[in-house]
Amino acid sequence: MATPVLEIKDLHVSIDGTPIINGLTLSVKGGEVHAIMGPNGTGKTSLAQTLMGHPHYTVTSGQVLLDGQDVLAMRTDQRARAGLFLAMQYPSEISGVTTANFLRTAINSLRAAQEEKPITLKEFRDRLDEAMRFLEMDLQFANRYLNEGFSGGEKKRNEILQMLMLRPRIAVLDEIDSGLDIDAVKVVAKGVHSLVGPEFGALVITHYQRILAYLKPDVVHIMMDGRIVKSGDKSLAEELETKGYDWVRSEFIHEV
Amino acid sequence: MAPMANATSTDQVRKFAAEQFADEPNWLRARRNRLVEVYLAAPLPVRQRTPLKSRKLDQIPIATVPGASDLPNDVQNLYQVANLITVNGQTMHIHVPPAWRDQGVILLSMKQAVNVAPQLLEEYLGTVVNDDVDKFQALNGALWQNGIFLYVPARVTLDHPITVAHFGSSNVSNVLPRSLLVLDQEARATIIEQYLSEPGPERSLWAIATEIVLKDGAQLQYGAMQQLAATAESFVRRGAQVGRDAHIYWNLGEFGSSLSIAEHTSLLEAPGGQSDSTTVFFGSGTQHQDYVSVAKHVAPHTTSRMVARGVMKDDSRSVFTGVTEIKKGAVGTDGRQKEKILMLSDTARADAIPSLLIEESDVFAAHAASAGPVDAAAIFYLMSRGLSEAEAIRMVVHGFLATAIDAIPVDVLRQNVWNAVERKIAE
Ligand SMILES: Nc1ncnc2c1ncn2[C@@H]1O[C@H](COP(=O)(O)OP(=O)(O)OP(=O)(O)O)[C@@H](O)[C@H]1O
Ligand SMILES: [Mg+2]
Repeated sequence: MATPVLEIKDLHVSIDGTPIINGLTLSVKGGEVHAIMGPNGTGKTSLAQTLMGHPHYTVTSGQVLLDGQDVLAMRTDQRARAGLFLAMQYPSEISGVTTANFLRTAINSLRAAQEEKPITLKEFRDRLDEAMRFLEMDLQFANRYLNEGFSGGEKKRNEILQMLMLRPRIAVLDEIDSGLDIDAVKVVAKGVHSLVGPEFGALVITHYQRILAYLKPDVVHIMMDGRIVKSGDKSLAEELETKGYDWVRSEFIHEV
Repeated sequence: MAPMANATSTDQVRKFAAEQFADEPNWLRARRNRLVEVYLAAPLPVRQRTPLKSRKLDQIPIATVPGASDLPNDVQNLYQVANLITVNGQTMHIHVPPAWRDQGVILLSMKQAVNVAPQLLEEYLGTVVNDDVDKFQALNGALWQNGIFLYVPARVTLDHPITVAHFGSSNVSNVLPRSLLVLDQEARATIIEQYLSEPGPERSLWAIATEIVLKDGAQLQYGAMQQLAATAESFVRRGAQVGRDAHIYWNLGEFGSSLSIAEHTSLLEAPGGQSDSTTVFFGSGTQHQDYVSVAKHVAPHTTSRMVARGVMKDDSRSVFTGVTEIKKGAVGTDGRQKEKILMLSDTARADAIPSLLIEESDVFAAHAASAGPVDAAAIFYLMSRGLSEAEAIRMVVHGFLATAIDAIPVDVLRQNVWNAVERKIAE
């Protein structure tokens, strides 16, 4: 499959009439890892949810294109079928549905959209075992109800498991590293790395430099007040960590 | 102007009862005749949240002789598995495993029991369910047609489930099944009653009763599946009298019928008796369902668990009332109930009403009830993985019902309930 390109062009988003994202432009291609950093409440999660089509967010203007196709015209499930994936900051708990059963259903939904046959139980089991071992997860998690009673860190690992199983083309990871111990951060970074290549790109939202040390992003964006105010290479993240957002404000925001 | 006449006149009912049951023993005929009068005089049952007057149930003819019919093709496979099949109240098929007969098990249709086991019938009929309690119960008591009669001798365990199917064809106006199950000391059995019907040009009235007697130490897994057609209006009453250290398990699936009024009661009258009750219901269209589940603790150290899970879609309406009644002297009793309802539409309505009536202080009683819509965040989450909205809802409904349905210990019944759920979701 061709290298994916996600383009966000001058995006404006509001919630209940309040503008949250104010003219954001960004593009991510296969093979690239982009990081977005920014203070609390600046609209990072809103961006991620908007990309996936959460009904709460209203796009007031701008465009989002995946391989030139209008993402904003698609339903959430169509976006997933087009290859978008969102690892959520707060994944839902689904009682009574095992992780394995859910994943198999999801894989088959994606396959059906490509007019492929459903995955065989054997192939599914093998792939699931492999992915879980790779992420150093207890195999029992597959039989537990999806996210129900999972710790914060277990939920994050489960998001990465889903990403490995569903093989998206562009993944948005919203604070996938928050609340993880250092070993778990390494595992998560390993998971993302295993996919990065011409057919996969990632947009990683984070507050911390430490996951970026493993992920080695090509581009780091700083987001404030609903827009990107500065982009640079990974040294920008290091600089931000030492100097803080006040530095960004005074250096890069020149409000009239 | 004369008021609109009932579909069936008083005299027709009396005449029907006299002719139809002429061959039955005197005690039974007397019982039926007395209940005919109760039926004629009694008011409609009263359910606070379910108005019955406006349904004009008296416009459905009763006391008619149902025509002969057969099972429709899609349930013909019941012939392979069922121990008893009744069609419009007539016995179509009965199968008693010879090994059970050798163990002294008495398995009959209720029609047969009238002649073959009249003493047992006379001893137990009407002792668990009070036929005088309301109009439709009295109707069943007066004119009941057929059902399963089971007697399991002391210490006998039936090695596989008994399956009963009650079927009503499209041209039948009323079906009145009645079953009586007696398990002697330490006997064990599993039984499933299914209620099925074809949609007809006219409405049909079903009045259903099942009585269960468990002697000391007996255990019964009782399952029921109600999947009547949308033209059926049903009234169901079940009761279990639970002996010392005996255990009744109720697994009830309620899916069909336009009106469904049902009640089941565990009478815990001897120490150590236990009741485990699970009701799964699923309303759609304009179905109106009103369920009452009662655990009546009379003796000390009795236990009850009551679980209800309901899913409501379209314009359906449900009421689930759980009653845990603890009488003075029932010390050391433990009664718990949990009702949860998932609303799939804004126009459906559901009430879950737990009620604890406690006269004794040295007891444990607890309840939890909730009704709420599908979690929008969960649907978004599932759709973000590629599931369509319909698939996502289906998955959430599955998950919601899983804990209740997967706990049903009888494989065939559990599978039946899942199948019924699938059909309802797809409707
Ligand atoms: N449902 C909502 N209704 C009203 N305001 C909202 C809603 N959701 C988010 N907001 C507001 O939108 C703004 C952006 O929130 P968002 O969650 O996108 O920030 P964030 O950058 O992800 O923050 P954090 O780093 O804390 O995760 C915040 O001011 C928040 O309060
Ligand atoms: Mg956020």
